[in-house]
Amino acid sequence: MTVKKMKRRAILAFVQNKPGTLNKISMMIRRKMYNVDTLTVCKAKPLGVSRMTFTLREDDEARVLQLIRQLEKFTEVIRAKELDPDTSYWREVAIIKFELGKKTLEKLQKTYQFEILDSQPHDIHIIQIAGPTDRLDRFLEDLGAEHLIEIARTGVTALDK
Amino acid sequence: MKGTELILRALHAKGVKYIFGYTGGTIMPVIDEMGKQHDLFTFVMPRHEQGATFMAQGLSRASLSTDNPQIGVCMSTSGPGAMNLVTGIADAHMDSVPIVAITGQVATGVIATDAFQESDVVGVMMPICKQTYMPLAVDEIEKTIHEAFYVATTGRFGPVVIDIPKDVQLQETAKKYSFDLKKYQPRLPGFYYHPSPERDVLHKAIELINRSERPVMFCGHGVISSNAGEMLQEFAEKTNIPVAFTLHGLSAMPIDHPLSLGMMGMHGTVEANRAVMNADLIISFGMRFDDRVTGKLSEYAKNADVIHVEIDPSELDKNVATSVAINADVARTLHVILHDPELTSKPRRRWLKEIAENRKITLAEAEKELSVGVGDDGKLLMKTIVSRLSTITEGKDIIVPDVGQHQMMAARFYNFQTNNSWFSSGGAGTMGCSLPMAIGAKLARPDERVWSISGDGGFQMNIQELGTIMEQGTDVKIMILNNGYLGMVRQWQTLFFDGRYAGTPMLSPDFGLIAKAYNIPYQKVTELDKVDAAIRAAAEHEGAYLLEFICDPSEVILPMIPAGGGFGDMIVSRQKA
Repeated sequence: MTVKKMKRRAILAFVQNKPGTLNKISMMIRRKMYNVDTLTVCKAKPLGVSRMTFTLREDDEARVLQLIRQLEKFTEVIRAKELDPDTSYWREVAIIKFELGKKTLEKLQKTYQFEILDSQPHDIHIIQIAGPTDRLDRFLEDLGAEHLIEIARTGVTALDK
Repeated sequence: MKGTELILRALHAKGVKYIFGYTGGTIMPVIDEMGKQHDLFTFVMPRHEQGATFMAQGLSRASLSTDNPQIGVCMSTSGPGAMNLVTGIADAHMDSVPIVAITGQVATGVIATDAFQESDVVGVMMPICKQTYMPLAVDEIEKTIHEAFYVATTGRFGPVVIDIPKDVQLQETAKKYSFDLKKYQPRLPGFYYHPSPERDVLHKAIELINRSERPVMFCGHGVISSNAGEMLQEFAEKTNIPVAFTLHGLSAMPIDHPLSLGMMGMHGTVEANRAVMNADLIISFGMRFDDRVTGKLSEYAKNADVIHVEIDPSELDKNVATSVAINADVARTLHVILHDPELTSKPRRRWLKEIAENRKITLAEAEKELSVGVGDDGKLLMKTIVSRLSTITEGKDIIVPDVGQHQMMAARFYNFQTNNSWFSSGGAGTMGCSLPMAIGAKLARPDERVWSISGDGGFQMNIQELGTIMEQGTDVKIMILNNGYLGMVRQWQTLFFDGRYAGTPMLSPDFGLIAKAYNIPYQKVTELDKVDAAIRAAAEHEGAYLLEFICDPSEVILPMIPAGGGFGDMIVSRQKA
């Protein structure tokens, strides 16, 4: 049986930067029986406020709206909303360590224009690449799993147009 | 000043008079300080911490409609003490009851090291209460307590937990510490509270009401919480719209009012449920379309527009799609809508006639059994006892049921006349709530008679609170409707499990001896002609009284919509094999 892949949703929440806030939010997401695909948190502009972006999978609009309303009910959540993929930018960053010959590396860099952070003997490189999720996925495909040593990805963060 | 003094100063400032608490290692300093200021607070000691939570609930719920609303405060020590609060706090959360729980916690230096009697109270309570706090310095204490009271009582009510480490309780404030309550404003940018209705949605609602031929109004807990019963009645009379009640909406207005349909939902009346089924408009005030109210959602009120007035925005469009969603306080909405010049009324002769026909069905069904008074085995029927109690007390007393069959009987057969006189565990359905909740209700309204009605199962879940009644001399009239079974589950077994009674028969102790041990007068009633005299004896006695009624285990509460069924599946009459 193939599991139908549900629509990916990005939810943005401005929250008070307090101990327990993440706990509450993740507990609610669990209670609604979702898995968090990605989660990014950073400081927002007003002091003491954090900006949290997480993605999860759901097809039903009403259920997403319900989750957002229940999140907004938390005292610590100042504002929550869904980010529409058509009207917002979704980006992530990856740091990747791989082993690759010089020629192929140069070819890849032409296509993807990543930043090389470190090059070590034996063709081992550490690079930084940013962009939409599918761009990063494409890069990894072009690189080839056999060359990959280690990868760190931030998960999606997003901003409205 | 010490932390403990600040705790009590804040509680006193919030008008707290009763503290329902059980002492122990980490809460001792607060109780000790309270002992020093003995004239400020009355300390009520339950016999189990769960009792404290329900006493606090009773006090909050019953005092809500009085001139002196009070918030129930319960206190316990860390670890097992705090864990024993869990059920009552979860219950208060489900039923939106404002209580404040203060728990002692081990000292900050040893938190998260599995110290003696340490539990992660904040971690445990977080998903089952409105807000949790743990002040980590003495100068946060007063601010925290005032914010906790604000959160508990603002918007949709709910329980709040404050976990205070022992060393913080004992800390001394710096010399320059000051707290000015008059200038205090909670800073809660994420706390959304929208009490007044928007003008445009209100106009849309009025349009729908004016256009409607077959409207029904729903009266939920929000009507009770915002003290809007009288206004709701006025609105119903002005527009000539019948009113159906949720379990928690009962006692918001007289239940025998001509426009009242009685309770709706799983064990609702025929007239209420059929009215909902056939309505073209539902105007719902302060309720959340719980599954016990709606049954199968896909079949629920298919032809009706829904106007939903609710203070909690996350309840709007949750289970039932609305035509007009009004996110506001029920009382304020009613106040505005009542005086809108565009609001009209209709005679609705056909609609009210249809309702009157259905009402006859409910009455006739009940009358079949009430006229006999006993079951096939000659034992008493719960509905007889409740309706006798209702007649004798003229429907004016405070009723605190437990959870189960007898609760539904009380909901259906007590003729509620007094505003805000019904306190029941609805959302959580916690067995054992009645006895302690009745104690709290009596403390809130000492001049009114309070009846705690339990089954033999629920009564034994918090039976230890008889000790509190003995010690405090609380005048609570206790009724045990003893049928030797967990009656509600037994009813499901009868109807849906081919009469296999697994796990429901129950052997009870001699309640007479137990009453005697607690020095509470007691009567056991087995015969129909003794019921009235026993109820009168309890009613007239000054002080607590225990009545045990031996009931027919085969009695069922009907009508019933089976769980997950639609309103069309309503069982109205009993098919006897």
